Amino acid sequence: MPTLPMLHTYKAGPIEQVVLPGETVGIWVNKVYEFYKIQYVEGIMRSDPVTIDLGALGALGLSALTQVTLLQMPDKEFAQFRMETLDDVEIGVYQGRADQRHKLFTRAATLNRFLPLFDPDAHITEMYEFEDNFIFLQAINQTAYAQTQARVVFWGFRYVLEILDQYSWRKQVLPDVWTRIPATAHL
Amino acid sequence: MGTDYLKAARGIRKVSPVVTVAAAATPENLYLVSVGATVGRTVIVRKIMCYSVVGNCVVQIGIGLAPLVPIFPFLYVINLFDTEWMEDEIPEVELNQNITVQSDILGVQVQIECEEIGT
Repeated sequence: MPTLPMLHTYKAGPIEQVVLPGETVGIWVNKVYEFYKIQYVEGIMRSDPVTIDLGALGALGLSALTQVTLLQMPDKEFAQFRMETLDDVEIGVYQGRADQRHKLFTRAATLNRFLPLFDPDAHITEMYEFEDNFIFLQAINQTAYAQTQARVVFWGFRYVLEILDQYSWRKQVLPDVWTRIPATAHL
Repeated sequence: MGTDYLKAARGIRKVSPVVTVAAAATPENLYLVSVGATVGRTVIVRKIMCYSVVGNCVVQIGIGLAPLVPIFPFLYVINLFDTEWMEDEIPEVELNQNITVQSDILGVQVQIECEEIGT
């Protein structure tokens, strides 16, 4: 008997899509869930066009907080990304320029070159970008020498959406089954 | 039971520059361990390469500049031979300081590959 796929965000192992076409998602944006039906899904390969170089860094230097415009999605689309840094730099992740992701109470976890040793599929790095709710990155050089580049590469899936305006998070009129997509920071 | 599990990566690989020892019997920096923002990293020497055109010499690898404290026995480098010690031959000495080198003759070239452990 065939089994249904178990799809969910931050799934361990190689990246998989988090929903299938025809399913319903609630995208967390502007402190509410907005509801959509998935129309179409396609892969975003780990490749040069979806790699960013945050630039040269002096010893112990840090880059500007950089808006990752290359990850922008069109209206009524969102993307699921995983990421890896290719250089020995620490990467702070923000969504909304001032809103750190991967937060604790006093600290925020960062992407780093050691991560693939313990999480080869980078599942813990998973991020979602809805339309122009940009991801921002900042590179920090922890080494005692200058580095000429600070690269971060992305891969994942693109999802095309259809608005489901019969549902409302504010009115608590919710679909029976839906997948939560954390596309902005939960402050 | 095999020992391959001992070779599993614990950190990331880095290399020192090729250092040409500048003065006889005088320690100098060979590899600067990354300092880390809040929690320091450690470093393990995995490979050592030396080459001399200035005569047979004795190379010491260690920590500290005044004086150098060896972390391995002295290494004897034969003139005009490329001399290498690979990771199976090197004790796994883990340090949280810069790695330094000295030689009894100036002019010998030394390079090391390290594994840095941390975050």
